[in-house]
Amino acid sequence: MMMPLVLLPLASVFIFGTSKGLHSFWVALTAPEAVFALKLSMVTSFWATVFNVLFGLFAAYVLSRYNFWGRNALIVTISLPTAIPTAVAGFALLLLWGPYGTLGRLLAPHGINMMFTAGAIVLANIFVTFPLAFGVIKPVLDTMSRSLEEASATIGASRWQTFWHVTLPSLRGAIVSGALLTFARAVGEFGSTILVSGNLAGRTQTAPLYIFAKFNEGQIEAANAIAIVLALFSFLIFSVLFFARDWLDVE
Amino acid sequence: MRAKEARIIDEQSDSSAKERAPQIATSVLGIRKRFGKTSVLENITFDVAEGEILVLLGASGSGKTTMLRIIAGLERPEGGRVILHGKDVTDLPARERGVGVIFQAYALFPKMSVEKNISYGLRLRKRPRKEIREAVNRLLSLVQLEEHRKKYPSQLSGGQQQRVAIARTLAYTPEVLLFDEPFGALDTQTRVHLRREIRALLKKVRVPAIFITHDQEEALELGDRIAVLNIGHIEQIGTPQEIYNWPETEYVATFLGAANVLPAVVRSGGVEVGPTLMPAQIDWSRFREGQPVKLVFRPEDVNLSKSDLPPSNAAQLSKGTVEQVSFVGSYERLSVRLELSGTNCGGTSEDPFYLTTETPESQTAKPIVVTRTKTASHGAPMKPGDRVVICLTSFTLLPDSAKNS
Repeated sequence: MMMPLVLLPLASVFIFGTSKGLHSFWVALTAPEAVFALKLSMVTSFWATVFNVLFGLFAAYVLSRYNFWGRNALIVTISLPTAIPTAVAGFALLLLWGPYGTLGRLLAPHGINMMFTAGAIVLANIFVTFPLAFGVIKPVLDTMSRSLEEASATIGASRWQTFWHVTLPSLRGAIVSGALLTFARAVGEFGSTILVSGNLAGRTQTAPLYIFAKFNEGQIEAANAIAIVLALFSFLIFSVLFFARDWLDVE
Repeated sequence: MRAKEARIIDEQSDSSAKERAPQIATSVLGIRKRFGKTSVLENITFDVAEGEILVLLGASGSGKTTMLRIIAGLERPEGGRVILHGKDVTDLPARERGVGVIFQAYALFPKMSVEKNISYGLRLRKRPRKEIREAVNRLLSLVQLEEHRKKYPSQLSGGQQQRVAIARTLAYTPEVLLFDEPFGALDTQTRVHLRREIRALLKKVRVPAIFITHDQEEALELGDRIAVLNIGHIEQIGTPQEIYNWPETEYVATFLGAANVLPAVVRSGGVEVGPTLMPAQIDWSRFREGQPVKLVFRPEDVNLSKSDLPPSNAAQLSKGTVEQVSFVGSYERLSVRLELSGTNCGGTSEDPFYLTTETPESQTAKPIVVTRTKTASHGAPMKPGDRVVICLTSFTLLPDSAKNS
């Protein structure tokens, strides 16, 4: 069952992409717009990942260590973006930040326009990958023995010293997995970015948007070259994800 | 032959407090704690002398873990004070108290090597690198783990991890060491070996320590003194000998080792158990004629003989029939039924065997447990059905609180 559904489509990406020889593959890949699209995807995904890992770490720590009113509601809210269709997410961002949006209307007179920029892509990426790092880090914190942190406190450490020396090192594996997961998801994001970026080639066109645009223009080789890069890239991340926790958690 | 009577509590603790006064390391005064509506600790008071090992012994739910966490500063009491070397630390957070806690699973930092674990306290205190290195070397040799210094906790055995945990707290010269059921996760052999090792180590470094455990054998072997905790209050504090030989309450008597408890009445000539009067000297400052009491005696304090003549050092309790003989390794355990029932139709209006929770039948029908050493059982072998004379070489009388109140 895996063959026609998953493996064959993937294989045809590679077969098609290289069917006209490595030279034309290389030419398609090094086209300025293609290089730009790949770079833009990497940079916007990077910043979304940095933000979401830091936020996820903070939120996971607070929600797993402290009990307060509305805690469960907060957990649900943080996890909500997983359930929202990406097109809806992009549309929602437009309604907030767009020139006629709730917030955009107030910012526009000051010359600040978030939409149709690289910043908009970062915002969209943050939105759709919001719960991923949190979701990986929190269960690890939940199962971590409280006596480690209590031991650290009785030895004389402040809360911050305990977090830095004791809690954080035990989260290394979870942080790396969470980051890779967020990054992989952000690099491939299409539904929300096509709405908020404006899809301007060489300015706000990410790699998935580039594939879509080139395909529409009938330039199959150009689309295919980037598709191969993205596919290889996700293989790489996936294998790192698979082994990273073992490497990091081994003493 | 003389009954070992429990001494008057107030007098004893007063005089011992005076003796220890100059060197008290830790005192706990009137600690109270409740979780929601249930009271976990009620007015707990005790102290630990410099270099002393105190064991808090209690069943689960007795509040012993909560007591330990209050001393460590991991839990706040509703009332009472915690004093470490004369300083009131009740309102200080755990990190400013300077106590050492050995957690049940040791709580070694998994991502730090043995060295790093041990030096953690000194690194937090920003001590010079040279001093830290010397301290770590000294502690590693103290706990004999020099060759394991670069290893991580997961590569060590349970006993080794425990020694690292102790060294980690000794590094910053703790006010007191608190051990939370430290041997719970180990097998019996290792446990016995480790507690001897740790006792020797503690006596060497002379740091006062509080252990909590539910294992009475552990408490007897480990403690200089034992405090028996029962649902939030201290039943008795004393040396292992005092606690074992002179239990002040029935709970202590039955929690520490096996004990036979029989309802009895104090008479001028001795102790009346059912139809028989066992000759004994009564401490009239504690008991009055006709007072219902409990006669408590250990299985090893019973002397069985087939002849009618009791040994000179024992008081004759009654006659009985051997019901069961079982071999339990180093000694022999017998179950003996007293010949008390049926004959108890004398003049007493109040049935001395009557307890609110048990019927007279179940009290008198209950066989007593006797243990005999190999020598004793070889000298006079017994089998089920043998009729014997039961004598006590030692016993304790406790006021029957159910009837006095």
